[in-house]
Amino acid sequence: MYRLSATALRELFFKGEVSASAIAETFLKRIGKHDPKIGAFLSLFSDRLMDKAWQLDQKRQKGQPLGKLAGVPVALKDNMLVKGQITTCGSRFLENYRAVFDATVTRLLEEEDALIIGKTNLDEFAMGSSTENSAYQLTKNPWNLQCVPGGSSGGSAAAVAARLCPLALGSDTGGSIRQPAALCGVAGFKPTYGRVSRYGLVAFASSFDQIGPFSTNVADTALIMEVLGKHCPHDSTSLDLPPEPYLQKIDHDIRGSTIGVPWDFLENLDPAAKENFLSAIEVFKKLGARIIDVNLELLKYSIAIYYILATAEASTNLARFDGIRYGKRSQRAATLDEVYDFSRQEGFGPEVKNRILLGTYVLSSGYQDAYYKKAQKARTLIIDLFKKAFSSCQMIAMPCSPFPAFPLGSIHDPLQMYLQDVYTIQANLAGLPAISIPSGFNQEKKPYGLQLVGPQMHDVQVLRFAHAFEKACDFSKAIPPLFDEEVNL
Amino acid sequence: MAHFDETELSKLAKLCRIECSEEEKKNFYSSLLRILDYVDQLKEVDTERVAPCDRILETLSNVMREDVVGETLSRETFLSNAPAHVGGMVRVPPVIKI
Repeated sequence: MYRLSATALRELFFKGEVSASAIAETFLKRIGKHDPKIGAFLSLFSDRLMDKAWQLDQKRQKGQPLGKLAGVPVALKDNMLVKGQITTCGSRFLENYRAVFDATVTRLLEEEDALIIGKTNLDEFAMGSSTENSAYQLTKNPWNLQCVPGGSSGGSAAAVAARLCPLALGSDTGGSIRQPAALCGVAGFKPTYGRVSRYGLVAFASSFDQIGPFSTNVADTALIMEVLGKHCPHDSTSLDLPPEPYLQKIDHDIRGSTIGVPWDFLENLDPAAKENFLSAIEVFKKLGARIIDVNLELLKYSIAIYYILATAEASTNLARFDGIRYGKRSQRAATLDEVYDFSRQEGFGPEVKNRILLGTYVLSSGYQDAYYKKAQKARTLIIDLFKKAFSSCQMIAMPCSPFPAFPLGSIHDPLQMYLQDVYTIQANLAGLPAISIPSGFNQEKKPYGLQLVGPQMHDVQVLRFAHAFEKACDFSKAIPPLFDEEVNL
Repeated sequence: MAHFDETELSKLAKLCRIECSEEEKKNFYSSLLRILDYVDQLKEVDTERVAPCDRILETLSNVMREDVVGETLSRETFLSNAPAHVGGMVRVPPVIKI
């Protein structure tokens, strides 16, 4: 059962060939057996899950209408709220924080009868590219247990890759869905900015954050996007657009279309990664797409722009963690000022502090124009650059990550870690929809991801190109051997 | 970044409301210097006649609603996560000297 896609699993459930309770039990057992190897989950909703599954079985027996995700287990990154459940954000600050309302994504999933199975590990407050910044545990890459799963949504990526659940949600501020998807060999989609409501997602950098899904194939991405891509009055950036029938629209020939590749920007790509990328481009040529060169040289400044703007926004967003209303309050604090200063000292990890300091610095008087305002102007240039590029092509193809999964503990320097996001950050700077899909393996059997970036609002188009690629060279059925019992037997 | 010295880091930490040990200050200082050094490359970008980005999507605009009381958290729910509360209110250390 674990090998089935979400789409296949719900078909079985619809037809009555398997009960929701049996599905829930199977995946809980699988997690019990396999998760200790990778540490993808921070919490499991076992009792709640079995209750929901039982209710769903009743619903089906009574012949009531079933939702689009009926019977499909879904995991949430632990920065999204499920009422009554702990939401840690991977931080000691929120160790005991119990959500008092449901995130919109939680509500939408449950309205469509998904089975929310538990919460996954992440870099603290989603700040990181390896999930090593979690205050709780390391998550390991299912393809190579010595390596990181990527980050910050590393738990969700690893869970789907190890087939511990067919779908999971992540959040992507600078690549936090796509990079771990690439490193773990699954599909990871960051929709257009505003497509999925962020109400109930703990904010990191509000002009960048976007929720999106992990899945084993593109059809499953389309399926869950039909559920998540809805307008929400609780998020003022939520797009008010009619719902898209993603599933119907993705199976479409891409013959005659044009794909742009920013060759200049890819100059320094590692040779093995470049070879993988070139073979992906060949696939698109065979599918009848025309490949053109797009000049995106300005993208070399993306990381600099991003780490000014995202940390500035983070320093403001994280000011809410003051030890007064919820979260950690230092036991040492005797005065109000000490409540703030000590609670934040004890509650935040080093990378979060690093970013709050940087963000506060670039916003502080005397430096704001030189850093913050300058970066905002450069962001305008990046947005315009993409607009221009998309006047001559429908899609831009890039690698997702400069390297495949790297060993745990191998990158200590924050700047080196930031450079891991070199190919993903642009989509967040310009609010573009972008997906990473598996594009093969290196010699050590570590996955590569191909990234497709589309114009704003053209989420369907991104999935269409990804689907065409997947049909032509399907890596979506590759399962990490350690987690594929049928092979081991 | 000649303007940024280690004493400024204490000021910055205070602005951030994060207490730092001397060792932490040293680490943060060297890490910040490296990052500021890296982002300095932005100076090469000509932004003379460019407007700062104030929205990502052109369609974004302020969302308003009628100023009426809606569904909110109950006091009990709100206080369920408070580190300390008394008499239905959040408790903090004294801020006024009597």
